[in-house]
Amino acid sequence: MSQTVNYFEVFGLPRTLGIDAGQLQAKFYELSRRYHPDFQQSAPPAEQERALTLSALVNTAYRTLRDPIARIEYLVRLEEGRDTREGSAVKPAAPPELLEEIFEVQEMLEDAKASGLDDEGRNRLAAERDRLVARCRQEEELLTGALAADWDEASPAGRPRVVAAFKAALATRAYLRTVIDDLEAALDPAGETDVTHHRH
Amino acid sequence: MAYSDKVIEHYNNPRNVGSFTKDTPGVGTGLVGAPECGDVMKLQIKVNLDTGVIEDAKFKTFGCGSAIASSSLATEWLKGKTVDQAAEIKNTDIVNELKLPPVKIHCSVLAEDAIKAALSDYKAKWGESAGAGQAAATATTSS
Ligand code: FES
Repeated sequence: MSQTVNYFEVFGLPRTLGIDAGQLQAKFYELSRRYHPDFQQSAPPAEQERALTLSALVNTAYRTLRDPIARIEYLVRLEEGRDTREGSAVKPAAPPELLEEIFEVQEMLEDAKASGLDDEGRNRLAAERDRLVARCRQEEELLTGALAADWDEASPAGRPRVVAAFKAALATRAYLRTVIDDLEAALDPAGETDVTHHRH
Repeated sequence: MAYSDKVIEHYNNPRNVGSFTKDTPGVGTGLVGAPECGDVMKLQIKVNLDTGVIEDAKFKTFGCGSAIASSSLATEWLKGKTVDQAAEIKNTDIVNELKLPPVKIHCSVLAEDAIKAALSDYKAKWGESAGAGQAAATATTSS
């Protein structure tokens, strides 16, 4: 296996999203064994080096493809020829109402924090959180359900349209998740360091 | 991640935080988000309708330190510029000024997007009444 193959190719899979979790896992175990340092000890150093790189690749590839959302995020990057989440050529335009809404929730949260959180305030924030979590789940279902199926059925000419739809839904999900994280952090200050990890 | 001194400075003392009422004459509002991380930013300009110069700018950012610093810097740069000059501000100018690392590029893009959105909102709402003298004169003669 070459070190420049993409994550789908690592597992000998086509660039489709309908992946059987059991088969993926079986293939992962097989490849992990093949490139495991323990089985490479008698190999020449260059060979060992290569196995190490490949074993790291297999791990990352598995972690990415195992998670249906990460799988889609990766597919989008692959289709756009990017290595990281930075530098997306075309930014999906967020629906303005969504940004307005998120901004309002953030302001409400800010006010609530400034005036000290009483029970009533906490309940309101928790209700907002629950509502947004439900919305976020819907978006994830859309991604891993209807849109993923669209991708697998799309002709090469139809693919860019599905990629655009993925990007829009992923962006919506990112906005929702950030505000949900911020609500969580306010409701559970002890967990704060965990949930605000997305902001360095 | 290590922030540059300038980012920290803006982060600790953000300039021009706040907002204008949306329909105040001459006010343009840009509300934008970064899909990479889900952060949101609102930036507003207040243009003198006689001179076309940005007299004041405000922002509110729910985002990372770099996004806050980028928008704070942007509002400083906007003041005193004409609407056309403001359109020339690029995210790369912000990156250079704040010494943002590659993973924080999108934070500066967010600020550029916010400027553009505020300018186009301004133009949509007040573009006709702006530019003063000549524009108004041509409008009346041609009607
Ligand atoms: S991390 Fe997203 S705006 Fe900075």
